[in-house]
Amino acid sequence: MHVSKIGLTALVPPELIFACGGEPVDVNNIIPASKKYPRNKLCAWTAIWKEMLVERELSVDSLIVVAGGDCHNALVDGQKVAMSGIPTHFFFYPFDGDPEYLESQLYGLSGFLGGIKFPEKIKQINDLKKLGQKIDIKRSRGRITSGEAFNILISFSDLRGNLEEFQKNIASIKEHSIKTGNRIALIGVPPIFCDFHDVAQSLGLHIVFDELPYEFIRHRGANIREIACDYREYTFARPLDFRINFLQKELEKRKVDGIIHYTQFACHHMLEDEIIRSRLDYPVLTIQGDLPGNTPQQIKLRLEAFREMLERL
Amino acid sequence: MIARKKRVSEAIGLDVGSTTAKMVRIEDGEVQSRITGTHNWKDLVNGIKENIISTGYFRNSVPHTASVTEITAAIYGVRHYFPEADVIVDIGGQDTKVVDIRKNNFLINDKCGAGTGAFLEFAANYFSIGLDELGLFHRRAGRIPDINNTCGVFAISEMISQLVAGYSKEEVVAGMHYAFARRISFMVPEAETIVLIGGAAKNEGMVMALKDILKKKILIPEEPQVINALGALKYFS
Repeated sequence: MHVSKIGLTALVPPELIFACGGEPVDVNNIIPASKKYPRNKLCAWTAIWKEMLVERELSVDSLIVVAGGDCHNALVDGQKVAMSGIPTHFFFYPFDGDPEYLESQLYGLSGFLGGIKFPEKIKQINDLKKLGQKIDIKRSRGRITSGEAFNILISFSDLRGNLEEFQKNIASIKEHSIKTGNRIALIGVPPIFCDFHDVAQSLGLHIVFDELPYEFIRHRGANIREIACDYREYTFARPLDFRINFLQKELEKRKVDGIIHYTQFACHHMLEDEIIRSRLDYPVLTIQGDLPGNTPQQIKLRLEAFREMLERL
Repeated sequence: MIARKKRVSEAIGLDVGSTTAKMVRIEDGEVQSRITGTHNWKDLVNGIKENIISTGYFRNSVPHTASVTEITAAIYGVRHYFPEADVIVDIGGQDTKVVDIRKNNFLINDKCGAGTGAFLEFAANYFSIGLDELGLFHRRAGRIPDINNTCGVFAISEMISQLVAGYSKEEVVAGMHYAFARRISFMVPEAETIVLIGGAAKNEGMVMALKDILKKKILIPEEPQVINALGALKYFS
């Protein structure tokens, strides 16, 4: 049986893709290790997946572009992919969190994918998300490295396209005893650098919270109605106040010492930096990345200086 | 390498930055310093028997007993002269750092050359004058043309346009200093006392423009280029 590969540009309930018989592929996940230098770009994240899809270097049968809840770069680059001949569906989260609107979007998406054929996959994914939550807690307690935890948590957007294999990947994570001296929350979009968590750890900064990957493991539901009622709280799609109130609770719960706010060159999230700095009462280091690769030396300098600063407090 | 913050006696501070290398030792309470080009840093440590506390871009590439980032070093170095300082503006060869001491916060501009020493060097080269002559040119300017471009490369194009429009070299240099200072001012938070360090702090024209834009008290140590080397030494002593 042919399983359609469904490209995703941001968070789309993967349980619905699997339930409709598709294999989700988060097109962002290959970017940090990519050597691609896109020709026409603002944000490298969208520019790279757009170019790889248009040039068929990344193979998908169709694409779901998250428009509301992601950015206008994705909306434009998604249309370029659609114009190149790949069937593309545009998915919108409601800014005001209206569950009925989201439910209608999910039904539209289900229709695009041919309807739900394997409802049992939804429960299977919910069970995996519980394992993801355990990994998140263990990382916060210093029993899993932040790099290993991040690699698993970030993969919950598409569960690496194979639930059984992904479950094995989770089970293979080894536990350690890690000193979590400087407890850091990493907020914003994930860094485009492939080794960021390990570099931060080697410089004495233990990342105990990854904002976006945490969104990937905390939403669930047994059916479309429940999925709509839960995913409507996806913070990146909601007003900043909503997101910041959520962050305040999470950061307090995790007893963080400081925040690293990662911003992507030419990304609208950069404009949020001053609000984050004024509303979250923690030392904040803002860093910016552009193209993928290893963490650059200038960023390492900032991380090291941030650690020195936290240790002066 | 020794543990962080462990005290080191009998030491020198060595700041090997992108453009220059600086060495500081304290003798009988007096700060003694030497400066050379980055690639001649070895001249500063030849025959040195003391421990080396390093800072700057190359802090981990040169022999050292301990190292500290230039952001932290700047705080300790500036406090030696100005314990009341609120904000440090460190204009280096390849970046500009603004450190808010009260809030334990810092910003670094290194994505663009427009607010760095490299831009001043580029402008001086264009006029075939030394870096130390930029201040003199600024003083001689009768008018100050607007140079609005925030990109270092396009700012040079705009300077050429102003020369074509009839402004003198001196006036265009003054306009360039204002464009430079404006860009740095965007990084500076509200503060009572700003301390300016780094090689560009020796440029009288740039300092005049920055004072005019910020309208704040700006303090400059006697030798602003060696403050981070001094700070590295003080951090571990």
